[in-house]
Amino acid sequence: MIYRDLSPGDIEIFSEAIGEYFEASTGEKALVRSAYLLEGSDAPVLWNDFHGVIAISGGYHGTVCFSAPRKLLSHLLMSIGDRNYTDECHLDLVGEIANTLSGCARKHFGEMLQISTPMTFLGRAGEVRAATDSIPYAIPFQWRGYEAGLVVHLRKT
Amino acid sequence: MRLMIVDDSMVIRNRIARLMNDTRFADLEIVGLAGDGHQALAIGRSKRPDLITMDLTMPNMDGEQCIGELVRFLPEARILVVSALSDKATALRAVSRGAHGFLHKPFRDEELAQSILELKQ
Repeated sequence: MIYRDLSPGDIEIFSEAIGEYFEASTGEKALVRSAYLLEGSDAPVLWNDFHGVIAISGGYHGTVCFSAPRKLLSHLLMSIGDRNYTDECHLDLVGEIANTLSGCARKHFGEMLQISTPMTFLGRAGEVRAATDSIPYAIPFQWRGYEAGLVVHLRKT
Repeated sequence: MRLMIVDDSMVIRNRIARLMNDTRFADLEIVGLAGDGHQALAIGRSKRPDLITMDLTMPNMDGEQCIGELVRFLPEARILVVSALSDKATALRAVSRGAHGFLHKPFRDEELAQSILELKQ
């Protein structure tokens, strides 16, 4: 059985969180596009250089994965005044973004929603395994011309 | 005044530290950067910070537990929670543990500056 438990309103919360993140952190809005169902993918992630994954539990079960290219993250680091462009710094940032976007959703989903510390990796999207049998939602966006995205793969428990 | 910055993200720790270079914070000395609650307790005991910025979601020991421990031996320290956990219950719980303010991530630089200035007063 395939579950599709999240409503459009639930997904909108994550879209708004992306917009808010970039505007607050850099003063420049991200162009957040319409979410779509990520069907036929082996892993609940979008292809990209860096990935930050948050495990969700407590009322919902699954993952939230933020994926971005190196150049977007380097540009973002520059925007906030950071001059450290190592892989370690990019991994830290992608995990922090995933954590922040997930945390913002707690206002909507409630305090029962438990958010893990981020798991991060460079490349190798196949390391992220589907935690539920629902269909993930992908939320693509563009910031300063770079394409990135968030995949929300949650199911009510 | 002595400031300790607690966050599991190096990027955030460094960002907060950079913001403290502003002339409005000339009287602040950063005495420690901690990546989790255990490190925060160790720095807290040795450096005795007056002000603390505290993340909540961290490995090993989370921010709520860390606040509860810190206020036992640093009762005068003023703690600003800087967290992405945006529900009201979390903020109230942090305050009940001993935090003095709550700033939601993502934050603008000036929002953080104002929050620290308020914490200093």
